[in-house]
Amino acid sequence: MTLSLTRRQRKALGKLGAILINLPFVFLIMIPLLYTFMMSVMPADELYSRFWPSHADFSSYLSVFTKTMIPRHILNSFIVAGSVTILQMITCSMAAFSFSFLEFRGRNFVFMCILATMMVPWEATIIANYLTVSTWGWLDSYRVLILPYGCSAMGVFLMRQNYLTFAKELHEAAKLDGCSNWRFLATIVIPLARPALGALGAYVFLLQWNQYLWPLLVTNSDRVRTVQIGVSQMYDIDSESIALMMSAVIVVLIPSLSIFVFMQKQLINGLMAGAVKG
Amino acid sequence: MSTRPAEIRKIKPHRVKKTFYETIEPWLFLLPALCVFGVFLYFPFFKTLYLSTFLTNKFGQAKIFYGLKNYADILYGKYSREFWNSIWVTVRFVFFVAGGGLLVGLCTSLITVNKFPGKALASAIYAMPIAIASSAAAMSFKMILHKSIGLLNHLLGTSINWLSDTTWTFPIICILSIWLASGINFIFIGAGLRNIPEELYESAAIDGAGYWKKLRNITLPCLSPTLFFQIIVNIINAFQSFTLVKLLTSGGPQEKTNLIVYSIYLDAFRNFRFGTAAARSIVLFVIIMVITLLQFSTEKRSVHY
Repeated sequence: MTLSLTRRQRKALGKLGAILINLPFVFLIMIPLLYTFMMSVMPADELYSRFWPSHADFSSYLSVFTKTMIPRHILNSFIVAGSVTILQMITCSMAAFSFSFLEFRGRNFVFMCILATMMVPWEATIIANYLTVSTWGWLDSYRVLILPYGCSAMGVFLMRQNYLTFAKELHEAAKLDGCSNWRFLATIVIPLARPALGALGAYVFLLQWNQYLWPLLVTNSDRVRTVQIGVSQMYDIDSESIALMMSAVIVVLIPSLSIFVFMQKQLINGLMAGAVKG
Repeated sequence: MSTRPAEIRKIKPHRVKKTFYETIEPWLFLLPALCVFGVFLYFPFFKTLYLSTFLTNKFGQAKIFYGLKNYADILYGKYSREFWNSIWVTVRFVFFVAGGGLLVGLCTSLITVNKFPGKALASAIYAMPIAIASSAAAMSFKMILHKSIGLLNHLLGTSINWLSDTTWTFPIICILSIWLASGINFIFIGAGLRNIPEELYESAAIDGAGYWKKLRNITLPCLSPTLFFQIIVNIINAFQSFTLVKLLTSGGPQEKTNLIVYSIYLDAFRNFRFGTAAARSIVLFVIIMVITLLQFSTEKRSVHY
Protein backbone atom coordinates (compact mmCIF):
# COMPACT_ATOMS: atom_id res chain seq x y z
CA MET A 1 0.00 0.00 0.00
CA THR A 2 2.58 2.56 1.10
CA LEU A 3 4.85 1.50 -1.72
CA SER A 4 2.35 2.69 -4.31
CA LEU A 5 2.32 6.23 -2.89
CA THR A 6 4.59 8.84 -4.41
CA ARG A 7 7.15 10.58 -2.28
CA ARG A 8 5.07 13.71 -2.17
CA GLN A 9 1.93 11.87 -1.13
CA ARG A 10 3.83 10.16 1.62
CA LYS A 11 5.08 13.50 2.89
CA ALA A 12 1.55 14.92 2.90
CA LEU A 13 0.33 11.87 4.76
CA GLY A 14 3.11 12.34 7.32
CA LYS A 15 2.07 15.94 7.88
CA LEU A 16 -1.56 14.97 8.30
CA GLY A 17 -0.50 12.31 10.78
CA ALA A 18 1.56 14.86 12.71
CA ILE A 19 -1.42 17.19 12.93
CA LEU A 20 -3.73 14.40 14.06
CA ILE A 21 -1.35 13.21 16.76
CA ASN A 22 -0.72 16.76 18.00
CA LEU A 23 -4.39 17.70 18.32
CA PRO A 24 -5.19 15.68 21.46
CA PHE A 25 -1.99 16.84 23.17
CA VAL A 26 -2.67 20.49 22.36
CA PHE A 27 -6.20 20.05 23.62
CA LEU A 28 -5.12 18.38 26.87
CA ILE A 29 -2.56 21.08 27.67
CA MET A 30 -4.98 23.87 26.78
CA ILE A 31 -8.08 22.56 28.58
CA PRO A 32 -7.48 24.26 31.94
CA LEU A 33 -6.96 27.64 30.31
CA LEU A 34 -9.84 27.27 27.85
CA TYR A 35 -12.15 26.23 30.64
CA THR A 36 -11.05 29.11 32.85
CA PHE A 37 -11.71 31.55 30.06
CA MET A 38 -15.08 29.99 29.33
CA MET A 39 -16.14 30.24 32.96
CA SER A 40 -14.97 33.84 33.11
CA VAL A 41 -17.37 34.89 30.34
CA MET A 42 -20.25 32.66 31.45
CA PRO A 43 -23.35 34.71 32.25
CA ALA A 44 -24.26 34.21 35.93
CA ASP A 45 -27.71 32.71 35.31
CA GLU A 46 -26.35 29.97 33.03
CA LEU A 47 -23.70 28.71 35.41
CA TYR A 48 -25.51 25.71 36.84
CA SER A 49 -27.72 24.93 33.87
CA ARG A 50 -25.43 25.15 30.86
CA PHE A 51 -22.02 23.92 30.08
CA TRP A 52 -21.19 26.18 27.18
CA PRO A 53 -22.10 29.88 27.56
CA SER A 54 -24.81 31.04 25.15
CA HIS A 55 -22.98 34.33 24.74
CA ALA A 56 -19.80 35.87 26.11
CA ASP A 57 -20.36 38.18 29.06
CA PHE A 58 -17.27 40.23 29.79
CA SER A 59 -18.79 42.22 32.67
CA SER A 60 -16.90 40.25 35.30
CA TYR A 61 -13.61 41.54 33.85
CA LEU A 62 -14.85 45.04 34.53
CA SER A 63 -15.78 43.95 38.06
CA VAL A 64 -12.26 42.62 38.65
CA PHE A 65 -11.00 46.15 38.12
CA THR A 66 -13.76 48.01 39.92
CA LYS A 67 -14.93 45.75 42.75
CA THR A 68 -11.84 43.85 43.90
CA MET A 69 -8.41 44.65 45.23
CA ILE A 70 -6.79 42.93 42.24
CA PRO A 71 -5.70 46.20 40.56
CA ARG A 72 -3.80 47.11 43.72
CA HIS A 73 -2.25 43.65 43.85
CA ILE A 74 -1.25 43.95 40.20
CA LEU A 75 0.43 47.26 40.94
CA ASN A 76 2.23 45.70 43.92
CA SER A 77 3.39 42.77 41.84
CA PHE A 78 4.68 45.10 39.14
CA ILE A 79 6.56 47.14 41.73
CA VAL A 80 8.06 44.06 43.38
CA ALA A 81 8.86 42.05 40.26
CA GLY A 82 10.12 45.14 38.43
CA SER A 83 12.39 46.18 41.31
CA VAL A 84 13.79 42.68 41.75
CA THR A 85 14.47 42.45 38.02
CA ILE A 86 16.34 45.78 37.90
CA LEU A 87 18.19 45.03 41.13
CA GLN A 88 19.34 41.64 39.89
CA MET A 89 20.45 43.08 36.58
CA ILE A 90 22.66 45.52 38.48
CA THR A 91 24.04 43.23 41.19
CA CYS A 92 24.62 40.29 38.84
CA SER A 93 26.30 42.45 36.19
CA MET A 94 28.64 43.92 38.79
CA ALA A 95 29.53 40.63 40.45
CA ALA A 96 30.01 38.91 37.09
CA PHE A 97 32.26 41.78 35.98
CA SER A 98 34.47 41.26 38.98
CA PHE A 99 34.68 37.54 38.33
CA SER A 100 35.47 37.79 34.63
CA PHE A 101 37.53 40.98 34.17
CA LEU A 102 39.32 41.60 37.46
CA GLU A 103 42.09 39.63 39.10
CA PHE A 104 42.12 39.25 42.85
CA ARG A 105 43.06 36.78 45.48
CA GLY A 106 40.26 34.42 46.46
CA ARG A 107 38.32 34.96 43.23
CA ASN A 108 37.68 31.29 42.53
CA PHE A 109 36.84 30.60 46.14
CA VAL A 110 34.22 33.35 46.29
CA PHE A 111 32.80 32.23 42.95
CA MET A 112 32.45 28.67 44.24
CA CYS A 113 30.77 29.99 47.40
CA ILE A 114 28.19 31.77 45.24
CA LEU A 115 27.63 28.76 42.99
CA ALA A 116 27.23 26.57 46.07
CA THR A 117 24.17 28.59 47.08
CA MET A 118 22.33 26.92 44.19
CA MET A 119 22.30 23.77 46.30
CA VAL A 120 20.40 25.45 49.11
CA PRO A 121 16.68 25.31 48.38
CA TRP A 122 15.02 28.61 49.23
CA GLU A 123 12.35 26.67 51.15
CA ALA A 124 15.01 25.36 53.53
CA THR A 125 16.01 28.85 54.68
CA ILE A 126 12.54 30.33 54.68
CA ILE A 127 11.88 29.89 58.40
CA ALA A 128 15.10 31.56 59.48
CA ASN A 129 14.55 34.33 56.93
CA TYR A 130 11.02 34.86 58.15
CA LEU A 131 12.15 35.09 61.78
CA THR A 132 14.96 37.48 60.86
CA VAL A 133 12.82 39.90 58.88
CA SER A 134 10.10 39.85 61.51
CA THR A 135 12.53 40.82 64.27
CA TRP A 136 13.66 43.70 62.03
CA GLY A 137 10.05 44.82 61.74
CA TRP A 138 10.17 44.36 57.99
CA LEU A 139 6.95 42.36 57.64
CA ASP A 140 4.33 43.69 55.29
CA SER A 141 6.59 46.02 53.31
CA TYR A 142 7.93 46.17 49.78
CA ARG A 143 11.53 45.78 50.89
CA VAL A 144 10.86 42.39 52.48
CA LEU A 145 9.52 41.19 49.13
CA ILE A 146 12.34 42.74 47.10
CA LEU A 147 15.67 42.65 48.94
CA PRO A 148 15.93 38.88 49.67
CA TYR A 149 15.78 38.32 45.90
CA GLY A 150 18.25 41.12 45.14
CA CYS A 151 20.79 38.77 43.60
CA SER A 152 20.90 35.20 42.36
CA ALA A 153 23.69 32.71 41.74
CA MET A 154 22.03 31.83 38.47
CA GLY A 155 22.14 35.48 37.37
CA VAL A 156 25.81 35.89 38.29
CA PHE A 157 26.59 32.65 36.47
CA LEU A 158 24.60 33.66 33.38
CA MET A 159 26.25 37.09 33.14
CA ARG A 160 29.73 35.71 33.78
CA GLN A 161 29.37 33.11 31.02
CA ASN A 162 28.39 35.96 28.73
CA TYR A 163 31.28 38.25 29.71
CA LEU A 164 33.81 35.46 29.21
CA THR A 165 33.00 35.52 25.50
CA PHE A 166 34.13 39.17 25.26
CA ALA A 167 37.69 39.84 24.13
CA LYS A 168 40.08 40.65 26.96
CA GLU A 169 41.73 43.27 24.68
CA LEU A 170 38.61 45.37 25.01
CA HIS A 171 39.32 45.83 28.68
CA GLU A 172 43.05 46.44 28.12
CA ALA A 173 42.35 49.07 25.49
CA ALA A 174 39.83 50.84 27.67
CA LYS A 175 42.27 50.85 30.58
CA LEU A 176 45.00 52.39 28.40
CA ASP A 177 42.56 55.12 27.41
CA GLY A 178 42.13 55.90 31.07
CA CYS A 179 38.61 54.50 31.29
CA SER A 180 37.72 53.43 34.82
CA ASN A 181 36.28 49.98 35.42
CA TRP A 182 32.93 51.46 36.39
CA ARG A 183 32.66 53.42 33.17
CA PHE A 184 33.89 50.43 31.17
CA LEU A 185 31.14 48.27 32.71
CA ALA A 186 28.43 50.86 32.20
CA THR A 187 29.27 52.07 28.69
CA ILE A 188 30.85 49.07 26.98
CA VAL A 189 30.12 45.77 28.75
CA ILE A 190 26.44 46.32 29.59
CA PRO A 191 25.42 47.40 26.08
CA LEU A 192 27.26 44.37 24.66
CA ALA A 193 25.58 42.06 27.17
CA ARG A 194 22.04 43.18 26.35
CA PRO A 195 20.87 39.74 25.13
CA ALA A 196 22.02 38.09 28.36
CA LEU A 197 20.45 40.86 30.41
CA GLY A 198 17.21 40.35 28.50
CA ALA A 199 17.28 36.64 29.30
CA LEU A 200 17.97 37.34 32.96
CA GLY A 201 15.27 40.00 33.10
CA ALA A 202 12.53 37.93 31.48
CA TYR A 203 13.29 34.94 33.67
CA VAL A 204 13.54 36.87 36.94
CA PHE A 205 10.41 38.90 36.29
CA LEU A 206 8.39 35.79 35.53
CA LEU A 207 9.68 33.99 38.61
CA GLN A 208 8.81 36.97 40.79
CA TRP A 209 5.40 37.47 39.24
CA ASN A 210 4.56 33.84 39.99
CA GLN A 211 6.05 33.87 43.49
CA TYR A 212 3.74 32.47 46.15
CA LEU A 213 5.25 31.11 49.38
CA TRP A 214 7.36 34.08 50.49
CA PRO A 215 4.70 36.76 49.86
CA LEU A 216 2.19 34.49 51.62
CA LEU A 217 4.33 34.51 54.76
CA VAL A 218 5.46 38.12 54.88
CA THR A 219 2.44 40.13 53.70
CA ASN A 220 -0.87 40.55 55.45
CA SER A 221 -2.42 43.70 54.04
CA ASP A 222 -3.67 44.70 50.61
CA ARG A 223 -1.18 47.56 50.63
CA VAL A 224 1.72 45.29 49.63
CA ARG A 225 0.03 41.95 48.88
CA THR A 226 0.98 40.54 45.48
CA VAL A 227 -1.32 39.13 42.80
CA GLN A 228 -0.76 35.45 43.42
CA ILE A 229 -1.85 35.81 47.03
CA GLY A 230 -4.68 38.13 46.05
CA VAL A 231 -6.11 35.80 43.46
CA SER A 232 -5.81 32.71 45.64
CA GLN A 233 -7.83 34.41 48.37
CA MET A 234 -10.76 35.02 46.04
CA TYR A 235 -12.09 31.47 46.17
CA ASP A 236 -15.81 31.60 46.58
CA ILE A 237 -18.41 29.48 44.94
CA ASP A 238 -21.50 31.55 44.52
CA SER A 239 -22.54 32.14 40.95
CA GLU A 240 -21.31 35.70 40.72
CA SER A 241 -17.97 35.01 42.37
CA ILE A 242 -17.03 32.18 40.04
CA ALA A 243 -16.94 34.35 36.93
CA LEU A 244 -15.18 37.06 38.92
CA MET A 245 -12.59 34.64 40.24
CA MET A 246 -11.94 33.09 36.83
CA SER A 247 -11.64 36.55 35.25
CA ALA A 248 -9.11 37.47 37.92
CA VAL A 249 -7.12 34.32 37.12
CA ILE A 250 -7.04 35.30 33.44
CA VAL A 251 -6.08 38.91 34.26
CA VAL A 252 -3.25 37.72 36.50
CA LEU A 253 -2.01 35.33 33.82
CA ILE A 254 -1.89 38.02 31.13
CA PRO A 255 1.45 39.63 32.15
CA SER A 256 3.25 36.32 32.50
CA LEU A 257 1.76 34.94 29.28
CA SER A 258 2.76 38.19 27.50
CA ILE A 259 6.35 37.72 28.58
CA PHE A 260 6.11 34.17 27.35
CA VAL A 261 4.73 35.21 23.96
CA PHE A 262 6.80 38.32 23.30
CA MET A 263 10.06 37.40 25.02
CA GLN A 264 10.00 33.66 24.47
CA LYS A 265 13.58 33.49 23.23
CA GLN A 266 15.01 35.48 26.14
CA LEU A 267 12.85 33.58 28.61
CA ILE A 268 14.04 30.22 27.34
CA ASN A 269 17.67 31.35 27.44
CA GLY A 270 17.13 32.43 31.02
CA LEU A 271 15.45 29.14 31.89
CA MET A 272 18.34 27.20 30.40
CA ALA A 273 20.79 29.13 32.57
CA GLY A 274 18.47 28.86 35.55
CA ALA A 275 18.23 25.11 35.41
CA VAL A 276 21.99 24.62 35.43
CA LYS A 277 22.42 23.50 39.01
CA GLY A 278 25.81 23.25 40.67
CA MET B 1 69.06 39.36 37.19
CA SER B 2 71.98 41.25 35.85
CA THR B 3 73.24 38.24 33.93
CA ARG B 4 70.07 38.02 31.82
CA PRO B 5 70.02 39.61 28.38
CA ALA B 6 68.27 42.96 28.27
CA GLU B 7 65.48 41.79 25.91
CA ILE B 8 64.27 39.14 28.29
CA ARG B 9 64.18 41.56 31.14
CA LYS B 10 62.12 43.88 28.97
CA ILE B 11 59.36 41.40 28.11
CA LYS B 12 59.19 40.04 31.60
CA PRO B 13 55.95 41.43 33.00
CA HIS B 14 56.98 43.68 35.81
CA ARG B 15 54.73 43.72 38.79
CA VAL B 16 53.33 47.14 39.57
CA LYS B 17 52.31 47.50 43.14
CA LYS B 18 48.55 47.81 43.30
CA THR B 19 47.16 50.88 44.96
CA PHE B 20 44.81 50.40 47.89
CA TYR B 21 41.84 51.23 45.72
CA GLU B 22 42.85 48.72 43.07
CA THR B 23 43.07 46.02 45.72
CA ILE B 24 39.58 46.61 47.04
CA GLU B 25 37.90 47.45 43.73
CA PRO B 26 36.99 43.84 42.83
CA TRP B 27 35.29 43.56 46.21
CA LEU B 28 33.35 46.75 45.64
CA PHE B 29 31.87 45.19 42.51
CA LEU B 30 30.98 42.11 44.52
CA LEU B 31 29.62 43.95 47.52
CA PRO B 32 25.90 44.12 46.65
CA ALA B 33 25.83 40.44 45.64
CA LEU B 34 27.74 39.33 48.73
CA CYS B 35 25.41 41.35 50.98
CA VAL B 36 22.32 39.64 49.55
CA PHE B 37 23.86 36.16 49.72
CA GLY B 38 25.26 36.78 53.16
CA VAL B 39 22.13 38.19 54.74
CA PHE B 40 19.45 36.11 53.02
CA LEU B 41 21.23 32.81 52.28
CA TYR B 42 24.31 32.10 54.35
CA PHE B 43 23.09 33.69 57.56
CA PRO B 44 19.64 32.01 57.50
CA PHE B 45 21.26 28.72 56.57
CA PHE B 46 23.39 28.75 59.70
CA LYS B 47 20.51 30.15 61.70
CA THR B 48 18.41 27.18 60.55
CA LEU B 49 21.14 24.83 61.75
CA TYR B 50 21.22 26.69 65.06
CA LEU B 51 17.42 26.69 65.46
CA SER B 52 17.27 22.98 64.74
CA THR B 53 19.06 22.34 68.03
CA PHE B 54 16.66 24.43 70.13
CA LEU B 55 13.15 24.45 71.43
CA THR B 56 11.56 27.79 70.54
CA ASN B 57 8.74 29.88 71.86
CA LYS B 58 5.93 30.76 69.48
CA PHE B 59 7.76 33.83 68.24
CA GLY B 60 10.56 31.59 67.03
CA GLN B 61 13.07 32.66 69.65
CA ALA B 62 15.45 29.88 70.64
CA LYS B 63 14.71 29.16 74.30
CA ILE B 64 15.94 25.78 75.46
CA PHE B 65 18.97 24.01 74.05
CA TYR B 66 17.71 20.69 72.80
CA GLY B 67 20.76 19.23 71.09
CA LEU B 68 19.89 16.73 68.40
CA LYS B 69 16.58 15.86 70.02
CA ASN B 70 14.59 17.76 67.38
CA TYR B 71 16.09 15.38 64.84
CA ALA B 72 15.37 12.43 67.11
CA ASP B 73 11.79 13.65 67.48
CA ILE B 74 11.17 13.65 63.75
CA LEU B 75 13.31 10.64 62.84
CA TYR B 76 12.13 8.19 65.49
CA GLY B 77 10.45 10.16 68.26
CA LYS B 78 7.04 11.70 68.80
CA TYR B 79 6.67 13.25 65.33
CA SER B 80 8.26 10.38 63.43
CA ARG B 81 5.04 8.88 62.04
CA GLU B 82 4.01 12.18 60.51
CA PHE B 83 7.56 12.96 59.34
CA TRP B 84 8.16 9.65 57.60
CA ASN B 85 4.72 9.86 56.06
CA SER B 86 5.61 13.25 54.56
CA ILE B 87 8.92 11.86 53.28
CA TRP B 88 7.19 8.86 51.75
CA VAL B 89 4.47 11.03 50.18
CA THR B 90 7.14 13.38 48.80
CA VAL B 91 9.27 10.58 47.39
CA ARG B 92 6.30 9.04 45.60
CA PHE B 93 5.21 12.48 44.39
CA VAL B 94 8.72 13.24 43.10
CA PHE B 95 8.88 9.86 41.37
CA PHE B 96 5.61 10.36 39.50
CA VAL B 97 6.04 14.04 38.72
CA ALA B 98 9.68 13.82 37.60
CA GLY B 99 8.93 10.75 35.48
CA GLY B 100 5.57 11.98 34.21
CA GLY B 101 6.92 15.43 33.35
CA LEU B 102 9.76 13.82 31.45
CA LEU B 103 7.41 11.50 29.59
CA VAL B 104 5.01 14.28 28.56
CA GLY B 105 7.95 16.49 27.53
CA LEU B 106 9.46 13.63 25.53
CA CYS B 107 6.18 12.87 23.74
CA THR B 108 5.39 16.49 22.93
CA SER B 109 8.89 17.18 21.66
CA LEU B 110 9.00 14.00 19.58
CA ILE B 111 5.72 14.80 17.83
CA THR B 112 6.85 18.34 16.99
CA VAL B 113 10.21 17.33 15.54
CA ASN B 114 9.10 17.22 11.91
CA LYS B 115 7.57 20.11 10.03
CA PHE B 116 3.80 20.33 9.78
CA PRO B 117 1.29 23.18 9.47
CA GLY B 118 0.67 24.61 12.94
CA LYS B 119 3.96 23.37 14.38
CA ALA B 120 4.86 26.78 15.80
CA LEU B 121 1.51 27.09 17.55
CA ALA B 122 1.63 23.56 18.95
CA SER B 123 5.19 24.13 20.23
CA ALA B 124 4.16 27.38 21.90
CA ILE B 125 1.26 25.63 23.62
CA TYR B 126 3.45 22.78 24.87
CA ALA B 127 5.94 25.26 26.33
CA MET B 128 3.27 27.54 27.80
CA PRO B 129 2.92 25.98 31.28
CA ILE B 130 6.34 27.46 32.19
CA ALA B 131 4.68 30.88 32.30
CA ILE B 132 1.75 29.82 34.46
CA ALA B 133 1.81 30.43 38.19
CA SER B 134 0.80 27.41 40.23
CA SER B 135 -1.31 29.62 42.48
CA ALA B 136 -3.41 31.06 39.65
CA ALA B 137 -3.63 27.61 38.06
CA ALA B 138 -4.75 26.16 41.40
CA MET B 139 -7.84 28.40 41.30
CA SER B 140 -8.82 27.01 37.89
CA PHE B 141 -8.15 23.48 39.04
CA LYS B 142 -10.39 24.04 42.04
CA MET B 143 -13.25 24.81 39.69
CA ILE B 144 -12.45 22.00 37.25
CA LEU B 145 -12.35 19.50 40.10
CA HIS B 146 -15.33 20.86 42.02
CA LYS B 147 -17.70 18.14 43.19
CA SER B 148 -20.98 19.50 41.88
CA ILE B 149 -20.16 22.08 39.19
CA GLY B 150 -16.69 20.97 38.07
CA LEU B 151 -15.78 20.04 34.52
CA LEU B 152 -14.21 16.69 35.33
CA ASN B 153 -17.21 15.22 37.11
CA HIS B 154 -19.40 16.66 34.37
CA LEU B 155 -17.40 14.92 31.64
CA LEU B 156 -17.12 11.63 33.49
CA GLY B 157 -20.65 11.68 34.82
CA THR B 158 -19.34 11.07 38.34
CA SER B 159 -19.59 13.06 41.53
CA ILE B 160 -16.25 12.43 43.14
CA ASN B 161 -14.79 14.92 45.55
CA TRP B 162 -11.43 14.90 43.79
CA LEU B 163 -9.62 17.02 46.34
CA SER B 164 -10.65 15.18 49.49
CA ASP B 165 -11.01 11.64 48.29
CA THR B 166 -8.42 9.30 49.80
CA THR B 167 -7.87 7.40 46.54
CA TRP B 168 -7.97 10.23 44.02
CA THR B 169 -6.39 13.26 45.62
CA PHE B 170 -2.77 12.14 45.41
CA PRO B 171 -2.90 11.13 41.73
CA ILE B 172 -4.77 14.35 40.91
CA ILE B 173 -2.10 16.50 42.57
CA CYS B 174 0.56 14.55 40.64
CA ILE B 175 -1.23 15.06 37.33
CA LEU B 176 -1.66 18.80 37.90
CA SER B 177 2.02 19.09 38.84
CA ILE B 178 3.00 17.17 35.71
CA TRP B 179 0.92 19.59 33.68
CA LEU B 180 2.79 22.52 35.23
CA ALA B 181 6.18 20.82 34.74
CA SER B 182 5.53 19.72 31.15
CA GLY B 183 6.53 23.08 29.64
CA ILE B 184 10.10 23.14 30.84
CA ASN B 185 10.51 19.46 29.95
CA PHE B 186 9.28 20.18 26.43
CA ILE B 187 11.75 23.05 26.03
CA PHE B 188 14.83 21.19 27.23
CA ILE B 189 14.11 17.88 25.56
CA GLY B 190 13.17 19.71 22.34
CA ALA B 191 16.53 21.52 22.44
CA GLY B 192 18.28 18.19 23.02
CA LEU B 193 16.48 16.63 20.04
CA ARG B 194 17.58 19.42 17.72
CA ASN B 195 21.19 18.79 18.70
CA ILE B 196 21.20 15.21 17.39
CA PRO B 197 23.20 15.21 14.14
CA GLU B 198 20.97 14.71 11.09
CA GLU B 199 23.56 12.39 9.45
CA LEU B 200 22.84 9.67 11.98
CA TYR B 201 19.23 9.45 10.79
CA GLU B 202 20.24 9.63 7.15
CA SER B 203 22.61 6.72 7.42
CA ALA B 204 20.05 4.76 9.44
CA ALA B 205 17.45 5.43 6.73
CA ILE B 206 19.83 4.04 4.13
CA ASP B 207 20.13 0.90 6.24
CA GLY B 208 16.33 0.70 6.13
CA ALA B 209 15.65 1.43 9.78
CA GLY B 210 12.04 2.27 10.62
CA TYR B 211 10.74 4.97 12.98
CA TRP B 212 10.78 2.92 16.18
CA LYS B 213 14.17 1.44 15.46
CA LYS B 214 15.60 4.93 14.90
CA LEU B 215 13.93 6.12 18.08
CA ARG B 216 15.37 3.28 20.12
CA ASN B 217 18.85 3.15 18.59
CA ILE B 218 19.58 6.80 17.79
CA THR B 219 17.19 9.26 19.40
CA LEU B 220 17.00 7.89 22.93
CA PRO B 221 20.73 7.10 23.34
CA CYS B 222 21.72 10.51 21.95
CA LEU B 223 19.13 12.14 24.16
CA SER B 224 20.16 10.34 27.33
CA PRO B 225 22.37 13.14 28.73
CA THR B 226 19.51 15.61 28.22
CA LEU B 227 17.00 13.25 29.79
CA PHE B 228 19.27 12.61 32.74
CA PHE B 229 19.84 16.32 33.30
CA GLN B 230 16.14 17.04 32.93
CA ILE B 231 15.05 14.36 35.37
CA ILE B 232 17.40 15.80 37.98
CA VAL B 233 15.92 19.26 37.41
CA ASN B 234 12.45 17.71 37.73
CA ILE B 235 13.37 15.92 40.95
CA ILE B 236 14.80 19.06 42.54
CA ASN B 237 11.77 21.11 41.51
CA ALA B 238 9.30 18.47 42.69
CA PHE B 239 10.93 18.22 46.11
CA GLN B 240 10.23 21.94 46.53
CA SER B 241 6.53 21.78 45.55
CA PHE B 242 4.19 23.58 47.88
CA THR B 243 1.60 25.83 46.25
CA LEU B 244 -0.82 23.27 44.80
CA VAL B 245 -0.97 21.32 48.05
CA LYS B 246 -1.39 24.47 50.11
CA LEU B 247 -4.25 25.79 47.98
CA LEU B 248 -6.00 22.59 46.97
CA THR B 249 -5.69 19.95 49.67
CA SER B 250 -3.98 21.44 52.77
CA GLY B 251 -1.95 18.23 52.87
CA GLY B 252 -5.03 16.07 53.18
CA PRO B 253 -6.98 13.91 53.13
CA GLN B 254 -5.35 12.03 56.00
CA GLU B 255 -1.97 13.61 55.19
CA LYS B 256 -1.91 11.80 51.87
CA THR B 257 -0.58 14.91 50.12
CA ASN B 258 1.51 16.26 52.99
CA LEU B 259 4.63 17.15 50.96
CA ILE B 260 7.78 17.97 52.90
CA VAL B 261 7.73 21.73 52.22
CA TYR B 262 4.11 21.84 53.30
CA SER B 263 5.00 19.94 56.49
CA ILE B 264 7.72 22.53 57.21
CA TYR B 265 5.16 25.27 56.70
CA LEU B 266 2.63 23.57 59.01
CA ASP B 267 5.20 22.87 61.68
CA ALA B 268 6.46 26.44 61.78
CA PHE B 269 3.44 28.57 61.02
CA ARG B 270 0.55 26.48 62.34
CA ASN B 271 2.10 24.59 65.24
CA PHE B 272 4.83 27.16 66.01
CA ARG B 273 7.42 24.42 66.40
CA PHE B 274 10.24 26.29 64.71
CA GLY B 275 12.87 23.90 66.06
CA THR B 276 11.52 20.76 64.40
CA ALA B 277 10.59 22.79 61.31
CA ALA B 278 14.24 23.85 61.09
CA ALA B 279 15.32 20.22 61.47
CA ARG B 280 12.97 19.26 58.61
CA SER B 281 14.47 22.09 56.53
CA ILE B 282 17.93 20.66 57.08
CA VAL B 283 16.69 17.25 55.96
CA LEU B 284 15.32 18.86 52.79
CA PHE B 285 18.61 20.64 52.24
CA VAL B 286 20.59 17.41 52.62
CA ILE B 287 18.32 15.63 50.13
CA ILE B 288 18.70 18.38 47.52
CA MET B 289 22.45 18.56 48.10
CA VAL B 290 22.90 14.81 47.67
CA ILE B 291 20.91 14.87 44.41
CA THR B 292 22.91 17.82 43.09
CA LEU B 293 26.22 16.16 43.94
CA LEU B 294 24.97 12.92 42.41
CA GLN B 295 24.24 14.80 39.20
CA PHE B 296 27.67 16.37 39.34
CA SER B 297 29.51 13.09 39.72
CA THR B 298 27.49 11.05 37.20
CA GLU B 299 27.11 13.71 34.54
CA LYS B 300 30.28 12.76 32.69
CA ARG B 301 29.72 9.02 32.94
CA SER B 302 26.15 9.07 31.68
CA VAL B 303 26.94 10.44 28.22
CA HIS B 304 26.16 7.78 25.63
CA TYR B 305 27.38 9.01 22.28
